[in-house]
Amino acid sequence: MSPWAAQVWLGMAITIIGISMHRTGPAFRRHPFGIPLALLGLAVMLFRVEKPPHPESEVVAATMDAAMWLLPALAGSTLVLIGAPLYWRTRLLPLLAGWALIVVAWYQYYSIMNVALSDALRGVSALLGMTLALAVFALCVRTAERMTPQEPETEPLSEKEKKYVESVLRRHLEVADEP
Amino acid sequence: MNPNLELAISAFAGSAALTSLFVILALIGTLNPYHRPAIPMLGASIVIFASTYLFAHIVGIPANSIALRLTMSEGVLALLDIIPIAFLLCTFMFLQASLRKRPEDPLLALLESEPGSE
Repeated sequence: MSPWAAQVWLGMAITIIGISMHRTGPAFRRHPFGIPLALLGLAVMLFRVEKPPHPESEVVAATMDAAMWLLPALAGSTLVLIGAPLYWRTRLLPLLAGWALIVVAWYQYYSIMNVALSDALRGVSALLGMTLALAVFALCVRTAERMTPQEPETEPLSEKEKKYVESVLRRHLEVADEP
Repeated sequence: MNPNLELAISAFAGSAALTSLFVILALIGTLNPYHRPAIPMLGASIVIFASTYLFAHIVGIPANSIALRLTMSEGVLALLDIIPIAFLLCTFMFLQASLRKRPEDPLLALLESEPGSE
């Protein structure tokens, strides 16, 4: 495999690892290295000195074509999620900007799309392939969990631990009146 | 073989292999002391090798590293074909989320009334 072909796959691997890393942790504090790693992966995948050989050249070309509508779609989706009344009140500016970007994404896609019967066949087959891979993964996770030995029952909290938990709860619930 | 059938099997094998590769990479990206990734990784690897073998058999090439690259490339191209369908579903969900009215919650109201909160 040529180094340029390896670069494409390495970049894609780093991107997926970065995205997965970003998804860890609570929603309000994601992993700090996730997004930088994903962006580094995209840079490794798309910026290169020489054109990669077949079949990686087709992968890069198709990704670049899709980026024309995928980038506004991703940015628009993020803004809509920020602006929509999911956790807080509606934020009109991000919401409207997000919808504008989503409209742009659909317009871009409409201008480059070329739907044929073979594409539909390919899409359905791809969905079936993904389903199979995810089903195997789910089955493997279930097997791994079943093979994990059960931990013994946890001991009840000691008096010292009870006092500590109580103090934490008091601090977080801001109870002013002492018993 | 019928070219449409060949196309369908290629897309099936490619997307199965690529999804399994993503599973392996996701397991690496989220590794923590409580993970038991050995069996899922083994399962995903088996799917990748079986898909590569199927693809190589359909296309009529030896099942080697070139077949693996071709399978993965086919997977990327097939995945790019179905992303618009996922985006269409997401657009409908975003529309629902944008038009919904946030349910009144006394705890959230209390939180919002605190100084410094949005």
